[in-house]
Amino acid sequence: MKVRPSKRSQKAALIFMLPATGLALNGCAEKQVEAQVFSTPDECAAFYNPPEQCQAAFAEAAQLHPKVAPRYANKQECEADFGPGQCETAPEQHQQGSFFMPMMMGFMAGQMLNRGGLTPGAGQAANQQTVAATGRNPVPTQPLYKSRDDRNTFRTATNTAVASQPGSTTIRPSAVQPKPAALARRGGFGAQAAQRSVNRSYGG
Amino acid sequence: MKRHNIAPRPGWQDFANSVGFTFHTIDNEPYWDESAYYQFSLQQIEQDLETPTEELHQMALDLVPDILADEQLLQQLAIPKPFWDYIAASWRSGEPHLYGRMDFSYNGTGPAKLLELNYDTPTSLFETGFFQWVWLEDQLMRGQLPQGADQFNSLQDKLEQAFAQLPLAQPFYFSSVTESIEDKGTVDYLMDIALQAGLNCRYIQLEQLGDIEGQLVDMDGFPINGLFKLYPWEFMLQEDFASTILTSKTQWLEPCWKLLLSNKGILPLLWQKHQGHPNLLPAFFADKQPVEAGWVKKPLFSREGANIELVTANGQRLTEDGPYTDSGYIRQALAPLPQFGDNYTLIGSWVVGDSAAGICIREDNSLITKDSSRFLPHIILD
Repeated sequence: MKVRPSKRSQKAALIFMLPATGLALNGCAEKQVEAQVFSTPDECAAFYNPPEQCQAAFAEAAQLHPKVAPRYANKQECEADFGPGQCETAPEQHQQGSFFMPMMMGFMAGQMLNRGGLTPGAGQAANQQTVAATGRNPVPTQPLYKSRDDRNTFRTATNTAVASQPGSTTIRPSAVQPKPAALARRGGFGAQAAQRSVNRSYGG
Repeated sequence: MKRHNIAPRPGWQDFANSVGFTFHTIDNEPYWDESAYYQFSLQQIEQDLETPTEELHQMALDLVPDILADEQLLQQLAIPKPFWDYIAASWRSGEPHLYGRMDFSYNGTGPAKLLELNYDTPTSLFETGFFQWVWLEDQLMRGQLPQGADQFNSLQDKLEQAFAQLPLAQPFYFSSVTESIEDKGTVDYLMDIALQAGLNCRYIQLEQLGDIEGQLVDMDGFPINGLFKLYPWEFMLQEDFASTILTSKTQWLEPCWKLLLSNKGILPLLWQKHQGHPNLLPAFFADKQPVEAGWVKKPLFSREGANIELVTANGQRLTEDGPYTDSGYIRQALAPLPQFGDNYTLIGSWVVGDSAAGICIREDNSLITKDSSRFLPHIILD
């Protein structure tokens, strides 16, 4: 007997619409990764990192700084969180003047540094192999800040504490993804739906 | 093509609710209706629906460059001028399209007549691809349908293939209007399939989309580089973020050029180019003249049967109110929907990528199919 190919899907399965399974949405345990934290490029180089890589990581973080640093409407509010003399003007203006943001107090290097000398007995070649084998480090290089009442702890722009001393630290990459500080305009789509109050669906 | 009564599966409502299909009954009226089903022969499916669907799809695609090259046509279709270049660029750079649905008047004999293309925001996807499929499997297993009964419904397989193969930005975002449970259901289903295809997907409410310096962003301010939106392009081009569309680095599903094909103006253009084609109805751009007997008047942009006016051959006038009164109109020769008992039956034929991917059936008590029209399953059995 000749078997005709079916005209319907081989399967019609659902994953996340099924409440009982929820396979896909269960958070998988996120691996901690290593990153390095320094106050200055010189301090970074003192930890046996190549100076030019330290300089490059610092420059990358400094470039990100005005984009991600937390914003305050005036200097007083900023200094209340970060301490006297620890704030500077942000690039944006509002009607009463400038926005303020804390000064950058350090940087976190993700993928740039090859960590020469940090591990006892590890030679340059071995380290480069490690970097090659592990691939891209998921921690973005970024600026760090220190709050007024806790001058030891390095924090990201979104106030995640990452280290209390320079050097290596381990962190969950998802906790340290830099976010733009600029305020997005929202609500620019959907007005027609509200106006027309179409029945149940905006499809057809 | 026959209509058969059949006993609904006991407890199907609980199953529907458990998979998020909560809109199966609306205001105590059935939307999903499994008290009957339609039966087609394989020849009816393949010769009368599947093949014409793919042919009409190609004819529609072939019209896109014609329209883009002709300012008069763009004006006739009421496409806002500031977006002409953008739409042309989206077509010329080959921005991929995902899916569409064409609606037919077909009674089992003779050529199916194309009523319209829903090529921007087609819904009833979950009902077709999943719930109808499960209904067939269940009824086969329960011995309520003859063994060997099949269904023209490769929708989920083809969508999964498309998500796996299309060059899509990741993460890819999905968006719908917050208040519409039905649209969220459709988008959830698409996300589910995309997830199965290995895509990294995220949902964002349409009203929550943000703009930072002309780039569309998510709730955390991250750029949205790929977005499926269950929201009409013609609305988006009139709203506050219309200018964001021009500057944002965002890949859209459906792409903006689909606006040309979801427009009812495509019907007169198809007729001009392929006059006499067996699957096409005579259609013309309409002015203010009253609708004559045997004709239908439709707005260029409308959905779910809204603002349709028709006069039957014997002079009976039917109108459907709606919110789409601000664009031009077309008129199309009336191909009355076939009647099965008291029901007028419409066939929706899905296209994924460029392939026909299955059908769905809607029934109404009137000649105009609306969003409240019932959804019935079907089988193929010779």
